[in-house]
Amino acid sequence: MWKTVLRRLLIMIPQLIVLSIIVFALAKMMPGDPFTGLVNPNTDPKEIIRLKREAGLYDPLWVQYGRWVNNLFHGNLGTSYIQKVPVASLIADRAVNTFWLSLLTVILTYLIAVPMGIAAGRYEGKWKDIVISAFNYITFAIPGFVIYILGLWLFGYVLGWFPISGSVSGSASGFWGVLGSRIYHMILPAVLVAIISTTGIVQYLKIGISDNKVEDYVKTARSKGVPEKVVFNKHILRNSLLPIAAFFGNTITGLLSGSVIIETIFSYPGMGQLFMNSVQQRDYTTLTALILIYGILTLIGNLLSDIIMSIVDPRIRIQ
Amino acid sequence: MKIMKLLGSIGLVASAALALSACGNKSNNASNQNAAKEKFPEAVPTKPKKNGGTLKVAIETDTPFKGIFEDTLSNDAIDSTVAQYGDESLFHSDKNYNIDNKGACTFKLNYKAKTITIKIKKGVKWSDGKNVVAKDIEYPYEIMASPKSGSARYTSSIADIKGIAAFRAGKAKTISGIEMPNGANGNTVILHFNQMHPGMNMIGSGYFWKSAAPYHYLKNVPMSKLESSDQVRKSPLFFGPYKISKIVSGQSVTWVPNKYYWKGKPHISKIVESVISTDSAAQAIKSHKFDIIDVPNTQWSQVKNTKGYHFVATIPLSYNYLAFKVGKYDKKTGKNVMNKNSKMNNKALRQAIAYAMNIDQVEKKYTDGLTFRVDTLIPKSFGKYYDSSIKGYNYNLKKANQLLNKAGYKKKGTYRVQPNGKPLTIHLAAMSGSSEQEAIIQNYIQQWKKIGLNVKLTTGRLIEFNSFYDKIENDSPDVDMFLGSWSLAAEPSQADLYGETAPFNYSRFVTKRNTQLINEIDSSKAMNDNYRRKVLYEWQKYMFNEAYVVPTTNSYSITAVNSKLTGYSEKNGTTLGWNDVAFVK
Repeated sequence: MWKTVLRRLLIMIPQLIVLSIIVFALAKMMPGDPFTGLVNPNTDPKEIIRLKREAGLYDPLWVQYGRWVNNLFHGNLGTSYIQKVPVASLIADRAVNTFWLSLLTVILTYLIAVPMGIAAGRYEGKWKDIVISAFNYITFAIPGFVIYILGLWLFGYVLGWFPISGSVSGSASGFWGVLGSRIYHMILPAVLVAIISTTGIVQYLKIGISDNKVEDYVKTARSKGVPEKVVFNKHILRNSLLPIAAFFGNTITGLLSGSVIIETIFSYPGMGQLFMNSVQQRDYTTLTALILIYGILTLIGNLLSDIIMSIVDPRIRIQ
Repeated sequence: MKIMKLLGSIGLVASAALALSACGNKSNNASNQNAAKEKFPEAVPTKPKKNGGTLKVAIETDTPFKGIFEDTLSNDAIDSTVAQYGDESLFHSDKNYNIDNKGACTFKLNYKAKTITIKIKKGVKWSDGKNVVAKDIEYPYEIMASPKSGSARYTSSIADIKGIAAFRAGKAKTISGIEMPNGANGNTVILHFNQMHPGMNMIGSGYFWKSAAPYHYLKNVPMSKLESSDQVRKSPLFFGPYKISKIVSGQSVTWVPNKYYWKGKPHISKIVESVISTDSAAQAIKSHKFDIIDVPNTQWSQVKNTKGYHFVATIPLSYNYLAFKVGKYDKKTGKNVMNKNSKMNNKALRQAIAYAMNIDQVEKKYTDGLTFRVDTLIPKSFGKYYDSSIKGYNYNLKKANQLLNKAGYKKKGTYRVQPNGKPLTIHLAAMSGSSEQEAIIQNYIQQWKKIGLNVKLTTGRLIEFNSFYDKIENDSPDVDMFLGSWSLAAEPSQADLYGETAPFNYSRFVTKRNTQLINEIDSSKAMNDNYRRKVLYEWQKYMFNEAYVVPTTNSYSITAVNSKLTGYSEKNGTTLGWNDVAFVK
């Protein structure tokens, strides 16, 4: 198996090269550059030209690409054109915020979805299943941003229970104060995202359980006189969790990618918001670094998923 | 408020989103007293003050603020807004934007000797207790002139200071034209110029810098590291009424009183600024989340009846305009070249297009009158330089039709053709913005159809900010006319916007008469104010008549201020600053 993992990692190298070329070319094809809009008529146009030249924007594309890759191998992601700080530290700042928000979201999602899926599968066709299915259809049908805005309006503004923006309050002080404030700022967005991300898990789990319930090995277990509780938790549930494990790898790496929509609505300074702003402001260095990171995360996520699958399902062995 | 003189010097910033320009403009301290009185007060009522309290202020932006807290390195209106509680200008100006001696420094022009003498008042101290000294006034020039600093502030106007060009080229260790007669730690700086210009006494002029940099604090940071240094990004030093106690990068800033402030300790014990998205401003006002918060004009109708706030407004020094592309910018010679045969190079056509815009109707319907028509390219706020006799292009379809008929644009079917018989399609470039923008633009296209002009949107839809300026700056051939917007410096020179060599003269018109008038506005003869006014009047009349650039609208910029606050004023020329703002007893 380790051979396979190594091979998969090696295959990622050409994938990443192609990805980086595409990313770089697409970023440069966007109209405008980081100096667009810096139109200050008191500024000598020669100055802007000088700044652009110093930023290397007049060099041929392949020269710019080469320089970028070269820096990359030296662990240097460049300096943000807009924020004027090293991209690595900029992303590190945001990644921390995103990580904690995503972690809370994932935990909440599973806390809500797994019991719901189990209940729906176990009591198929009963009122519990009907209520859960109805909830599922509704949350699946409503676009995320509607729920987010509605939640922000109701709990942030009308009721005033939660903060409306940011990741930490400016007036929080001390370790516990800051930690408390951070968690307080995450609760509302995390709960909102969790509520509408349950659909997939609930459905997979429900279908898995209702399929497995009628399998022969379950019948065998029952006829052997195994208690119903054990049949359910040991035999049925374990097998029904397989499809969820299939995308767990991506869930783990997804902790770092962040959500553009929720972070924009809650002005939460994470990776998603940084990505959005970098696109709007043509912050090439940040943008290319971010997309590259997203790419790597996705590839690693897929690999992790495969590894996890092979661990939880002995029938699968990656070759 | 008086607070943000600095932005005046930042000058003209092309403003993309309305929200963005609203934020920036507010601090311009540029208001029109007469007009604003019609609808809004410019200050909150004066009441007895108490000390203490926490002031909550909203920073409306959809991106985290950058937090570059050194004026020479920042180009960002939001950063200036964020820093305003501590970042005080060296100078104060009166209601005509002329620098007076009420600020931290006195200011003296000497046209004969070609100097400006700046004297720091006694007791002006950085928030660490050190005196503001001559070197602190000189250092910003070193930052601007150093190619390593990344500053975009070195301009041809600044280059007029003696010796600064040599310093920039590395030929001199010091700037010879900046004299410190009683030493680097003294209180006096004398700037020597190669040439004097009219308007040099105005706060918006670009010939000298209006803020100080704490040399003792920054001197050990290499120029190339300055913009990412902690001294600039995390714990900047100011001499204004408040000092920073905490920055949460991109999100919030907490200020506490600067006990060394030269006008005495301010009243409020803590100011907390935090970022909120522009879209949620109305909700934040209705739920009283902030004590001071800008009202986006599109959200005014939602909040106007909210109790517990005073709504204070000014009219910023800015205008929206319609401009016609009649040439190209030649990058090699650095000159605008007008094409006599270009489609839009017909005065009657341009005038007719302007006459067909029903601006008054549109703004009444969509903006509740917060946006209004302007007649001339010098905003009313400039007072004496504004020519009130110009009536502007009032909606008049009949006149528009007459003009076109007379000029030979004959109708063939629905639309008119060019005088040479070729079909006429005019491509309009417009930026995407508020939700009403699309409807407003479509309305104008309908109006133009009424006079037989076939106007189509460039790219078929409204254009995103970056793409828009990319097209305009590079004279894209698919743009015949465009709707843009300028935010102005508090100095009425027009050379940077409409001069022959100005890259920002986006319509690329160059006429002998215009060049002559623009040069005259900045000539030595115009140091006589009456003469300058006369030429500015003539220029306004000329521009109105030629209609290469037609001013369309300007808007109020409104702030909601908690009614428990007093001492807040956006009046132009007021001496009230953040140190005067307090909660009511």
